[in-house]
Amino acid sequence: MIALNEVNAGQKVVVSDVKGDQRFLSRATSIGLTIGCRLAILHNEKKFPILFYGRDTVVALNREESKNVLVEVIE
Amino acid sequence: MNKAAMTKCPTIALLGQPNSGKSTLFNGLTGARQRVGNWPGKTVEKKEGYYNRDGARYRVTDLPGTYSLSANSEEEIITRDYIASGQADVVCILADSSQLSRSLFMLADYAGIECPAILLLNLVDVAEAQGKTVDAKKLEEKLGIPVIPFVAADRKQYDRYYEAIDKAMKEKQQISIDSLIARFRTIEKGIYEELLALMPPEGIDNYSPHWLAIKLIEGDAAILEKVKSGLEPKAYLKTQKIRSSIRNGPLQTGGCKFQWIDELLSDTLVQEQDKPLLSKFDRLATHRRWGKPLAILIILLGLVASFIPAAPIMTLGSMIPRLGGPIAEALSAIGASQMLIDLISQVVLNTLYFAVAMIGFVLGVNLVFGFLEEVGYMARVSYVFDGTMAKLGLQGKSVMPLVVSFGCTIGGAAGTRVIDSWGQRVLTIALAWVVPCAATWAIVPVLSSLFFGAWAPLIIVAIFIVAGLHMLITAKIFGSKLIREEERAGLIMELPPYHRPRWKALLRSILVRTWDILARALRVIFLVSLVFWLLTYSASGNPDTSLLYRVGRAIEPVTIIFGLTWQTFLAYFASMISKEAALGVLGSLYLGAGTLFTATVGSGGQMATGLENVLLASLTPPAALAFIFAVTFNAPCLMAITSTYQETRSVKWTLRILGYYFVSSLLLAFLACRIANLFFN
Repeated sequence: MIALNEVNAGQKVVVSDVKGDQRFLSRATSIGLTIGCRLAILHNEKKFPILFYGRDTVVALNREESKNVLVEVIE
Repeated sequence: MNKAAMTKCPTIALLGQPNSGKSTLFNGLTGARQRVGNWPGKTVEKKEGYYNRDGARYRVTDLPGTYSLSANSEEEIITRDYIASGQADVVCILADSSQLSRSLFMLADYAGIECPAILLLNLVDVAEAQGKTVDAKKLEEKLGIPVIPFVAADRKQYDRYYEAIDKAMKEKQQISIDSLIARFRTIEKGIYEELLALMPPEGIDNYSPHWLAIKLIEGDAAILEKVKSGLEPKAYLKTQKIRSSIRNGPLQTGGCKFQWIDELLSDTLVQEQDKPLLSKFDRLATHRRWGKPLAILIILLGLVASFIPAAPIMTLGSMIPRLGGPIAEALSAIGASQMLIDLISQVVLNTLYFAVAMIGFVLGVNLVFGFLEEVGYMARVSYVFDGTMAKLGLQGKSVMPLVVSFGCTIGGAAGTRVIDSWGQRVLTIALAWVVPCAATWAIVPVLSSLFFGAWAPLIIVAIFIVAGLHMLITAKIFGSKLIREEERAGLIMELPPYHRPRWKALLRSILVRTWDILARALRVIFLVSLVFWLLTYSASGNPDTSLLYRVGRAIEPVTIIFGLTWQTFLAYFASMISKEAALGVLGSLYLGAGTLFTATVGSGGQMATGLENVLLASLTPPAALAFIFAVTFNAPCLMAITSTYQETRSVKWTLRILGYYFVSSLLLAFLACRIANLFFN
């Protein structure tokens, strides 16, 4: 299990856990980040939010918050 | 709008995640029959309107765009409270068909609220272009409420919507939630059922016991407070105990909601997935090196493009003052007093000129940047500039109004329309005022080279450095009051798929706003022009009998502290009306060319013949520098102030920003003068 900010662009992952306070969890959930959700990482560049594709949607997530999203790499 | 009529008619609330097309539908339904205000006591925009059908009037409320019905933001609380209050007869939920598996989350979060609903599968055309087809009929059977494939930008399809609303009002169908509840039952240790058993069986307001139990699992403090009043103390204590034992509530319920959505879509959504996830253009638009330059280039091109629709309107506006002569002659022929003639030929015509010119530019900016927002590009700008703008407490999109302000602050303020949060919008405007606009560059280099010769470029560099520091300080001062705690949290945003612009819908929404802006602009500009005209009025036509002149001379002992003589202070004061006035007023004061009013509103920013020598003889270099800084960092112009009022919709904040710039520009003049004194004495 690794944090989302450590995944390289081009890799595919499955979300295994999301940490954080109630506000973050609720916000993350509402945009589709839930346990078991598959993501494709599009960009992971220093100083830029992580860009990934999940549930039909391209989502940008801050680097700081992406440390709270734990994933398993599948491809 | 007739208030009494509004209260009796059926009410439809539009609910949906951002980018689901709510505003397009709202504008399409209501056209010009809408009213934009604020939710009582809140800074969130409230849009209400109505439409007529078969002789009946329907009220439409456009609820704020939110991702869910939690209580994490003002927008979500407003949305929730409104639905709970029972004011809506039908809730129309919009989902983006091209991103159905995510955008149905709002529907899942709504399920369990006891108010009839319909589901609009908006943007079906975009979904089809992506190779996605939705079986709306089957989905309707599963959900038990009307489900309509829809394109909100196409008014020809509205009959489907009208029919669904009528059906929902008659049959009062609610979302069937049995299979959703079955999933909630699987949450750890059966806590859902334990909580459900404790809830008041009739629910609270429009919230069913199921919905309340789910929100309690999610740790929703506002709902816990609501439940407290409806429960026996013992039951409440038990509720609290169960609730405190739950970890990661939103994650667990969110999981259930998405499983339910997946199940709904398993046999209703067919999609061919062969396109790359990021298009070629998107790879460039989000590129770590090229994304930013591309964004700046597109914004600059956008600024230029805004002038295409704006220029004819602005030219038309600039011709209005020419009517002054003939009107004055006609009035004088019928024996009108000179004061009335002046009032009409100067104040009224000038108000029209300013308002029309402003509308032209605002229209151009709204059209171009509304287009970039509509096709989906602004979200990419937000992504690439997120880190940079976060330093100022702003979101990435704010870079656009700041860049546009190099051209014109009116456009900068109008451009903040694409920013969805009010606080962010006001802060962006407050910072956009710092950016030296084109008119500044018509004045500053002239004065700098006149007084400082070859050193003039240094003054320009100093202005840029001061502008940078000014922004940082201003962001700190205003940010603490404007940016809510929840907005400080890091960015999570979607980059919506690109789609072709819907010109008709875009034009419709902009034209509706334009009338509103024009009415407001006319009021504000007339009032301020009138006050300024009275201050500068002189029966003799010479500036020295006007009130402003006398006040200026009287307070010179004070203004001189800031390095401003009475002449430069008056010119500085007039530059709040129009930046170019700075030179015009100096011309009027030193050379007696025209009244202060005409010098202020009619100045093209050129140096009057002979003024250079007079200025060199009357001002010391430190006094000139003080003047340059005072004018550069003063309020941009009356039209920018009006545009600020239009976008903030707050007299208080407009005056706050204005007052802040008045004080800070004088302070900068003071510093510039003192520092220059070190070199020139």
